[in-house]
Amino acid sequence: MTPSPFFQFVCYLCLAAMFATAAMCLFRVVIGPQAADRAIALDLLSMVFIGIICLLCIIWGNSWYFDAVWILTLVGFIGSAAIARYLERGRVF
Amino acid sequence: MQFVFEIFAAAALLLGAFLMIVSGIGLIRFPDVFCRMHAAGKAGTLGIVMILLGTIVFFLTPGFADFSVFFRGMLAIFFQFLTSPAATHLLARAAYVTQYPVYDRTAVDELKAFLPSQPDEAGGME
Repeated sequence: MTPSPFFQFVCYLCLAAMFATAAMCLFRVVIGPQAADRAIALDLLSMVFIGIICLLCIIWGNSWYFDAVWILTLVGFIGSAAIARYLERGRVF
Repeated sequence: MQFVFEIFAAAALLLGAFLMIVSGIGLIRFPDVFCRMHAAGKAGTLGIVMILLGTIVFFLTPGFADFSVFFRGMLAIFFQFLTSPAATHLLARAAYVTQYPVYDRTAVDELKAFLPSQPDEAGGME
């Protein structure tokens, strides 16, 4: 079973919006004045990757890669927490 | 029957993509890191939750009826709501403690009286 053409069009539209958001995040990562700006942009970029994986699951019509979604939420949190701790204390552990 | 599910899924996906792109615009245009956190933390979280809900609804259509996607998606939404505010709060605290210059039109800075500027005196996560 495949999605209808209308729904496929919606998926590709959302995918374009996701890539535009990823481009904005990378722009902020490049020009961010300090490390905290870059950390925030990378936090949003992990959310954008989660959305891209969801949309690709819909477009391909199977759920083989859907495990990566909830794993990526946890890994993104651990990354942000490690960056914050490093910024605050100068060391991670 | 498939049509109804696809309408709901498309509405959720479009709302989520709109919120994500608003979040990206806010990330670029806001003046300092605390305002940018406001955009990335709230609009980004709600956008990703909407996209996950759209995916769940799509995989619940009778052709798929894939309940493993339902449970895994609910797990992802739960973890997102659990971890995103914590990560944003940790980053905001780290930015404030490392004396990030607050935007000069900020009206209220209540944290100035409580949080010393030296990281080891700040207490907290130990």
